[in-house]
Amino acid sequence: MKSIRRGQHLITVLLLLFLAGFGFLIYKLQTESKFYISHASNASLGKVYDRKGEVLYDPNATAEEYGADYFLDVGNLIGDDSKQMTNTLVAQNKDLLANFSFMLGEQHDGRAAVGTTLDHTVNRRVYDSFGSKNGCAVAYNYMTGEIYVCTSKPNVNVLDHYANISELPEGALLCSVFYPTVPGSTQKISTTLAALEHMGYDALMSKSFDCLGAYQNLGGQEIRCHKSAGHGTQGIMDAFANSCNPWFAQLVEDPSWTLEDIEETYRAMGYRLNGEGEQGYFDVNGISAYTASTTLTDKNDFSTQWGCMGQGTTLVSPLQLMVWQSAIANQTGVSTMPYLIDHAVSVAGKDLPRTMTTYGEKMFTPDSAAHMREIMLSNGRTRYADVLPGSDVAVKSGTAQIGEEKTENSLLTGFVDDQSFPVAFCIVIENRVGGVITTNQIASTMLSELRAALDVSA
Amino acid sequence: MLKNGLNYGGVITLLLLTHLSMLGIVLVRGNYQAPQDLLYLALAVLGLDLIGIIAAAIYRQMTYTLDIMLLGILNMSLIFQSCFGGVKLDIKHLITCVAAMVACEIGFLLTRNHEWIRKQKKYIYIIIGILILAILTLTGGRSMWITFKSFSIQPSEFIKPCFVLICAASIVELHKKIKVLFFYVSIDTLCLLAMTVVIFGLQWWCRDLGSLPTFAAIFGCALVCRLCYPRAKINKTAIAAMCVGGVLLAMVAWMLAPAYVQERLHADIWADPYGTGYQQCQALIGVARGGWLGVGAGHGRLAGVFAHESDIVFCTICEEWGLLYAGLTVVMILIMLTTVLMNPPKSYYHATMTAGVVAAFVAQMALNIFGSCNLIPFTGVTLPFISEGGSSMVTCGFLVGMLKAGQSPLFHHEVLRRKQAKKQKQGASAQNGKVSA
Repeated sequence: MKSIRRGQHLITVLLLLFLAGFGFLIYKLQTESKFYISHASNASLGKVYDRKGEVLYDPNATAEEYGADYFLDVGNLIGDDSKQMTNTLVAQNKDLLANFSFMLGEQHDGRAAVGTTLDHTVNRRVYDSFGSKNGCAVAYNYMTGEIYVCTSKPNVNVLDHYANISELPEGALLCSVFYPTVPGSTQKISTTLAALEHMGYDALMSKSFDCLGAYQNLGGQEIRCHKSAGHGTQGIMDAFANSCNPWFAQLVEDPSWTLEDIEETYRAMGYRLNGEGEQGYFDVNGISAYTASTTLTDKNDFSTQWGCMGQGTTLVSPLQLMVWQSAIANQTGVSTMPYLIDHAVSVAGKDLPRTMTTYGEKMFTPDSAAHMREIMLSNGRTRYADVLPGSDVAVKSGTAQIGEEKTENSLLTGFVDDQSFPVAFCIVIENRVGGVITTNQIASTMLSELRAALDVSA
Repeated sequence: MLKNGLNYGGVITLLLLTHLSMLGIVLVRGNYQAPQDLLYLALAVLGLDLIGIIAAAIYRQMTYTLDIMLLGILNMSLIFQSCFGGVKLDIKHLITCVAAMVACEIGFLLTRNHEWIRKQKKYIYIIIGILILAILTLTGGRSMWITFKSFSIQPSEFIKPCFVLICAASIVELHKKIKVLFFYVSIDTLCLLAMTVVIFGLQWWCRDLGSLPTFAAIFGCALVCRLCYPRAKINKTAIAAMCVGGVLLAMVAWMLAPAYVQERLHADIWADPYGTGYQQCQALIGVARGGWLGVGAGHGRLAGVFAHESDIVFCTICEEWGLLYAGLTVVMILIMLTTVLMNPPKSYYHATMTAGVVAAFVAQMALNIFGSCNLIPFTGVTLPFISEGGSSMVTCGFLVGMLKAGQSPLFHHEVLRRKQAKKQKQGASAQNGKVSA
């Protein structure tokens, strides 16, 4: 009988194991059901709103109700559930938007919704300000992480339902704010930060190099300046403001620091160096934004020096350029992570917890951040005072040569040095030559509109 | 009748309430074109209930619980299958349900006498051999299915109860051991091992790897029973060697497994929801859509997905009836399996046999439910009693018959023999008493 009882015990164990597995399955289904339903082809979704309650996405939107191009400025950012675009707010947050609960199943009259941090009116103004040019602009609160403006051109009108998808301009389905571009001289912020970290402020301020319009580096290669007559003898303040390539080539070659020093700061800032490891991304409410990458092999070599000046293989997303500004503006060396979703509402209409501000890892010291801030503010005061009258704006501009045709993109990144209006930004105009609009003008439009929209007095 | 925890009236009431409530739900929330569709279904279900209840009352056996529970589950299955994608009586499934109940009685009658069935061991080996030959010769390639026009059967399903029986028979007997190399082994054990290898090899060759865990569970259960057998005399070194051997075997199997099997073990189905993970993704979306209460019988979208009535049937039920009803169905099957705990076997043969049956059911349920819900790799096996498929239903019915047989009392001649032995003992003690007096 003892052996029979053991057989009974075996049966009991088997049944208990199954029951445990079944219990776990029920828990899993209960907790992950929103994720599953978000993958359904015709899930009932709620609306997305901007910070003032304007609709940014409506699954049942029509041109008659909203106007033919109402969503044009946010088409490839907010997106829709058509699966034509995957790296968009709607595509990545269908679980939040799903009018669904496991208890009640699908609720076609549910109240699920997402409230974003965007200001649609300002966003649209910025989009329109590009005129005939393509490019992108992004701005956020460098203290809290709220993204106020995020738009790119060309864009897609989701109300067209992709009827003309084959005729859409290249890149219309991607919000270029999140994708890498050649940063041009805005890269000199990273290189200057590396110098501040490893040489120290005093040593860097004491550096003085000549620019004669071109410089033959220690590798025997020539680095040309955009000013063919040269800038003469300069210190860091002038060289940074002038975006002088020969000066920065000599800074990179300077014997007082090593290639490893530059690599260390670049890595801390999130650069992927020399193709090592996997391409990195950082997350903005499910949207993947590319992290920076470059090649650093020999500091006396042209390609490394060229990379430190934002050309060659160096690639940075406009969002990343903007996020670095927060670490400088806050004088902490730590980035404030950007976010688009302010809050969500459940299917039953209950407000879900609001998004909290998060921070990245430490990239450089607060001292370096503070000194970098001074250098950028100096540049802003002397050359970009008209960007936002009444406020100090710290900036760095850049011109990036793109492709074999060497078309030039114009970039501007920086921040407003004002605690009541703490906004960092980045603007890119593609193929700037022949255009009537400049990054300064877009920055001016964006910041002044934003200041008015946020009800901040000058 | 034997005591088994539930009274007859209670079981019948539960059965009728379950089916009536389900038919009521179909009436209120079901997707049917004409009232006749629901009427035919109701007539079939309640008619089968009535026949089953009358049969259970007239044909009094040792226990009625399993018969009534089987009837309950099969009729639930009939309602489920008849409602997928729209309410219409599934006559094919009705026939297989009846066949399952008949198979249950056959299984019971064949296995209730443990002494008799144990002696039929060599015939069971022959039956397995015939089934394997049929698979090798009649399936037309590396397949488990024999197809005659629109009718197809899966002989490998019938191997399962036979395998349970030879496991039970080989373990319970005292074997005469012979020396092979340095080991003393019994012919019976060698035969069982050889048959296990042949069955596993056949599954492997036919690429029907989904059934392998079920056979492995039956064999594993038998092995544990063997180790627990009072006269087993297996030392700790042998047990350790078996464990190591098992691990090595699993490693070799993993290395030799086809690429698609290895891929399934670590695939992220959501990475390509319209590719290889399509069925599971749709199944999970269906479960989510159904929630606790379901979208209504016949209103599910999974009915358009391949194998919605077999491999992912649990999810199809979840979608249309809700997780509540799907869970209740699973609980009913589990309760049916626990009757063997309420009314334990009287012989070691039956104890081993019922453990094997429970292991087969539990393994298959786990493979189907957890596999379709992406907790474990998806193998594409049927859910006992619920999935459509004649071979599976008949086999499940036969296995329940074996479970019922496991609750048999000791047979008459055995009882007589024990009584005689007791009398002799009492007589001898009485005589000793007189002598001493």
